[in-house]
Amino acid sequence: MYGVFFVTGLAMGALYALSGVGLVVLYRCTGVLNLAYGALGAAGAMLAWQLEQWAYPEPVAWAAALAVATLLSFVYGRFLAPRLAFREPVIKAVATLGFALVILGILNYFWVEAPRRLSLSTDDLGLRMLGVRITGTRVLVVMATLLMTLGITLFLNRTRIGLLMRALASQRDLASMLGVPVGRVEATAWLISGLLAGFTGLMFGDLVRPNPGALTFLVIPAMAAAVVGRLQSLSLTLAGGLVIGVAESMATLVHPIAAYRSATPFIVATLLLLWLQRKRRLTFSGQD
Amino acid sequence: MRDSLAGRLGDRRLLAGFALAIVAIAVVPPLLNSLWLRVMLSSVIFTIAATGTALLYARLGLVSLAQVALVGVGGWVTLRMWHATGLPFELNMLVAGAVSALVGMLVGLPALRMRGLYLAIITLMAAAGFQILVTGTQFPNGGSGWLGIAVNSIFMPRPRFGHSDEAMLRYASVVALLCFGLVAWARHSRPGRAWALIRKSEACAMAAGVNVALYKAWGFAIAGFLAGIAGALLAGTIGVLDATTFPASESILLFALTVVGGAYSALGQVLTGLLFRAAPALLNDWGVDGNLAYALFGIGLLHALITAPQGIAGQILDGLARLRRPRSER
Amino acid sequence: MIAIRDLSVAFGGVRALDRLSVDLNDNVVGIIGPNGAGKTTLLNVFSGFVRPHSGSIHAFGTDLLALAPHRRARWGLRRSFQTEQVVDDLTLADNLRAVLDGLPRRSRHDGARQIADALRYVGLADRAQAPGASLNAFERRMAELAKTLVGAPRVVLLDEPAAGLRDDEVDALRQAILGLHAHCGAMTLLIEHDVELISSTCTATVVLDFGELIAFGATAEVLQSERVKIAYLGVEPAR
Repeated sequence: MYGVFFVTGLAMGALYALSGVGLVVLYRCTGVLNLAYGALGAAGAMLAWQLEQWAYPEPVAWAAALAVATLLSFVYGRFLAPRLAFREPVIKAVATLGFALVILGILNYFWVEAPRRLSLSTDDLGLRMLGVRITGTRVLVVMATLLMTLGITLFLNRTRIGLLMRALASQRDLASMLGVPVGRVEATAWLISGLLAGFTGLMFGDLVRPNPGALTFLVIPAMAAAVVGRLQSLSLTLAGGLVIGVAESMATLVHPIAAYRSATPFIVATLLLLWLQRKRRLTFSGQD
Repeated sequence: MRDSLAGRLGDRRLLAGFALAIVAIAVVPPLLNSLWLRVMLSSVIFTIAATGTALLYARLGLVSLAQVALVGVGGWVTLRMWHATGLPFELNMLVAGAVSALVGMLVGLPALRMRGLYLAIITLMAAAGFQILVTGTQFPNGGSGWLGIAVNSIFMPRPRFGHSDEAMLRYASVVALLCFGLVAWARHSRPGRAWALIRKSEACAMAAGVNVALYKAWGFAIAGFLAGIAGALLAGTIGVLDATTFPASESILLFALTVVGGAYSALGQVLTGLLFRAAPALLNDWGVDGNLAYALFGIGLLHALITAPQGIAGQILDGLARLRRPRSER
Repeated sequence: MIAIRDLSVAFGGVRALDRLSVDLNDNVVGIIGPNGAGKTTLLNVFSGFVRPHSGSIHAFGTDLLALAPHRRARWGLRRSFQTEQVVDDLTLADNLRAVLDGLPRRSRHDGARQIADALRYVGLADRAQAPGASLNAFERRMAELAKTLVGAPRVVLLDEPAAGLRDDEVDALRQAILGLHAHCGAMTLLIEHDVELISSTCTATVVLDFGELIAFGATAEVLQSERVKIAYLGVEPAR
């Protein structure tokens, strides 16, 4: 019993973590907390579902999902985000909400609320571990999360463009004055973030359900994971996402609170914020 | 800057707006058919809610994405109060306001001393949490115990002065005017000055002796109070409430439309209420899919943030001010 | 009388203030030093924006650091900022009233009188109802000064109030600073780069460099000191 919920929770948690990583990487580099992250994934997932319905080969669906999310992310990052480059972080985030509304509206228009299933070939694979059958999708998700997080960490620490991204993260104005090609580096961040959004959206579409609203709001657990990582540390985001996913799933076994278990991300993030600000005396707007 | 200008021509403009509102309240309701009475009622109710969001955003620069959830809290308390005590509606409404004020403060508490971004995150999560909570527990409808759920719903009756839809519309509009008055009073007295200082610079505010955390919390309290009042009116209008009215997306939409309508003036909040409820109904009449409205509002928000921070109301009021200037200066 | 003892502030590895100890008794005390010397940091410690990791400040018998930042205004601490912080949305009078709001109960009538007094003192009496946004740069500086005068101030901290002002405006500022103690009884700490303003208003001056106190005493002597000249000009002492 426990095994099943643990495995489910681990897979969901891995997706929360990976989404969180996508959010944090983008935030660190551009100062934008992309609240449209879930919507990007939703766009990818719905397109994949539709292509599946039209009997296109599965790799096409996968490619389309990743492509559309990456493209949307890039378009926002290249054309809209720069117009808000000098505003407070909260305004930048709220603007992405506008973007999310646009995407969500369009998705809901084309795909009216109806029960749907997105099935990928990885669903059919499986292996047994600890007496529990784990689908290939879930294995893929966990492996992908660990590998991609590791990969991104290495990318940020070992490559030149990763270095530039870290430079932007710590001191934007200074970096641009030193000749860091801000536009190009930011575009890279939006691309990477969009790609991750596409992947996690597709996976969520499979594991949860391909529904624009539901997928869009999965940005909330992703944000919770990012908050655990203080919008900064990838490893903490990873840990946070996994913990939230497992806790949420295991809560199904605790009967009085089972119906409210999807509030777990909220509770974790709130407790953490309370803890983080216990010593603070004051803030200056715009800084921490 | 606009407000100080308003402070000058202000009294005249305020009086004009007030007079216009009174005339509208007297004249408009009989002109509407039953559907549109309900739509306008809904618009007025959410204008009150938007006033709270606008207060936090315009005066304190704080983004709250949980206002509709707080409206839900107000509605819940009103229903529970009436079913439990049978007290008059007005009293239940005030209690609902107070409870929502408290909840609003509690929600904002974790993020009070951190970046505004964290407040937006926390309120969004609170809105989602509320959605989950209320979907699980439903709204009170006459049963006993804490949750007050019964199998057969008992509808809460209308307030004494709001039996017909027309009367209820007038009743809600008067409450809205009182709410505008409350906010205006706060803005022109001590809290308003403190907020202006905080908005300019928290360091400067502290150096001037303002207890920043306290006044931020007070802002949350007032915004919550307004949401509670709106919730009470909503409950009072329909008699029973449903979880589907309060998803997190509605809170996001309300914030977006607060910015689009114009957060810096009462006219803006009236526009927000209309955009939130009347525009979708209108589009429906014209056969346009409501989801496209969503997309339009998203574009509106982006536009407002990037180019027109004062919102539609700001542009209207700007235009009016320009017209009023003597010809020689134009 | 302000007694600063062993005040130390570090930001990461940087020592912004290094065991600063000095007793200030004059009506107007200047604080000078090259950029990065720790002058604004010192003021920030007074205001409560920065917590020193050691040391104390006792002003007129009160342990200032023991008070919460927003309570220091109530005690009588006032501060002007390098980038003027007059609120655009409020009228000039309301800007001053905001300062009075935070203070213990006083009759409304008296509040209005204090505001009128302060504005008259800085020469802005006729601009009382003007919105903050309509004030020019010089008026804003004087408005910042007026804000420090209401509500029985005890210590007024001025952070480079003369920056960017013309000579005649600096003159007006000079007169205002000179008359401050007589007007409201407060002690003034003046950070400035304008050495002429310092020598014409401050009877004593503190010189900081790299967070350390390198000179303190009568302004004329301090300004003549070799050590101070070296700190500013970076000139090696003749051997």
